[in-house]
Order: sequence, then C-alpha cells, then structure tokens
Amino acid sequence: MDDFELQLKNALSRREPPPWLEAKVLAAASREPVRLPPRTWDRLVSGMRLRWVSAAVAACLIVTGIAWQQERAAQERAAGAKAKLELALRVTSVKLRKIKQLVDAVNQDN
Amino acid sequence: MPTTGQHAEETEQGGSAVRQQFAETVRANQSMVFSIAYHFLRDWTAAEEVAQDVFLQLYRKYDELESDSHVTFWLRKVASHRCVDYVRRGARQPAVSLDDAPEPSAVAEHGDPLLNRRMRQLVASLPEKPRMVMVLRYQEDLLPEEIAKILDMPVRTVKSHLQRSLAMLREKVQRSMGSVR
Repeated sequence: MDDFELQLKNALSRREPPPWLEAKVLAAASREPVRLPPRTWDRLVSGMRLRWVSAAVAACLIVTGIAWQQERAAQERAAGAKAKLELALRVTSVKLRKIKQLVDAVNQDN
Repeated sequence: MPTTGQHAEETEQGGSAVRQQFAETVRANQSMVFSIAYHFLRDWTAAEEVAQDVFLQLYRKYDELESDSHVTFWLRKVASHRCVDYVRRGARQPAVSLDDAPEPSAVAEHGDPLLNRRMRQLVASLPEKPRMVMVLRYQEDLLPEEIAKILDMPVRTVKSHLQRSLAMLREKVQRSMGSVR
C-alpha cells in the first residue's frame, strides 16, 4: 500500500457505535423466539455435517459391496471346483465299470 | 422420558446460554458492522438502523452459523447488502449536510483529521458498488478475493472498482487539498 492508501485506511478506520446500540439489539432479540442450538440428530443431518455422514454411508456401502463380490467369486470358484470333482468321479466310475466288465469277461473265458 | 416441566427448564437454560453468547457476539462485532454502515451511508442514524437490522437477522440465523469466522463473514456480507438496499430503497437524506455532520469517534484514528474527513466524504460520493468495495478494502483490510465473495462479484470487477476509485480519489484530493504522495 502506498501513502495515499494508508491515508485512506486511516480515514476509514472503524468508528465507535452509539453506546445504546448493544442494548437496543438485545432488547429486540429478547422479543424473538428462542433460538436453541440444534440437537445432536439435527446437527448430524444439518447441511455441513450431512456431507460427512453421506461420505461415511457411501464408504460403508462400497466396502460391503466389495466384500459381497469377493464372497460371491469365492462361492463360484467353489462351485466350479465341485463340478470338476463330480465329473472326474463320474469318468473314473465309468472307466472302473469298463475294467470290471473286461475282467468279468476274462474270468468267464477261463 | 423428559417431563414437560423438565423440557421447559432445559429450553429456558438453553435460551439463556444462547442469549448470552449472542450478546458477546454483538459486543465483539458492533464496531465493524456500524462502521461499514456509517462509512457507506455517512448518516449516523441510518447506520444505527442498519446495524440493528443486521444483528436482529443474525439472531434469527444464529443456530445455523458454525464458527466465529463464519459469523464475521456473514455479518460483513449482510451488512454490505443491507447498506446497498437501504440506498436503493430511496433512503432519506441526512438531516444535516455531510460537511457539518458530527462524526462518531474513531476507534483509533491517525493522520490529518481534515484530510481524513475529506477522504470519507469523497468515498461516500462514489457509486454504491465501488463505494462498498473501498469500505471493505480499507476499513476491513480485505483482499479483492474476499471482497468478491462478500459482494457476489467477480474478482476482476472488484479490482477494476478499486483501481478506478483510487484514481478518482487521488485526483479529487489533489485538486481540493494540494498534492498528496
């Protein structure tokens, strides 16, 4: 700031208000309904805090969603493994039956 | 479950605490609000009226404000807009001419009182928006970005008002009182 601006600052320095201003304001305020601080729940859903609550809820939903997805993938892998095992057992069973048939045939010849 | 009597007592205690807190807020900020109005309107009675109005509105919104800095910002914003509205509503002319009107005492004034008085008169002669920009800049020491938020104005407009108003004031002071460095 240059000298001129400093002079402007001096010229526009704050003024003392009339001594009765505070009393008049408080008298007018006393005629208004009481403004209580908001209750805990009201604070939680008030504008500024709603953002944090929303962010927390969104984070919980995301974590739950990821966990559910992982659980589902594990279940699918388990189901796949079970199906493969059942197929392997069926194949083995069919082969064993054929071997038995061959053995029975050989025994009959003898 | 609280009884009706307990609830009434809690309400009264809560209300009393709020009123006390509000009184402290008024005490801490009345000089700022009154000065914004006075430097803009150059009328003690009008400044008092606007200041009362602003604080009453603050009381109605008190539970919505989060912190001291929020209160200060809110008061500057509402005081500024109220002052401009007051002028636009076709406010009455001061009962005494600006040259003769007694001035409220400064909280802390330095420099040549005659020059200071002349500068205040010249600031009061500016159009409304540039006038408020000058008051917020030099009374409240705010940056153009802060003034822009208070007055809902682009920053470049604030800077333009400052530049032009300063140039005009320099010229007028030079003409009326000789060169000012």
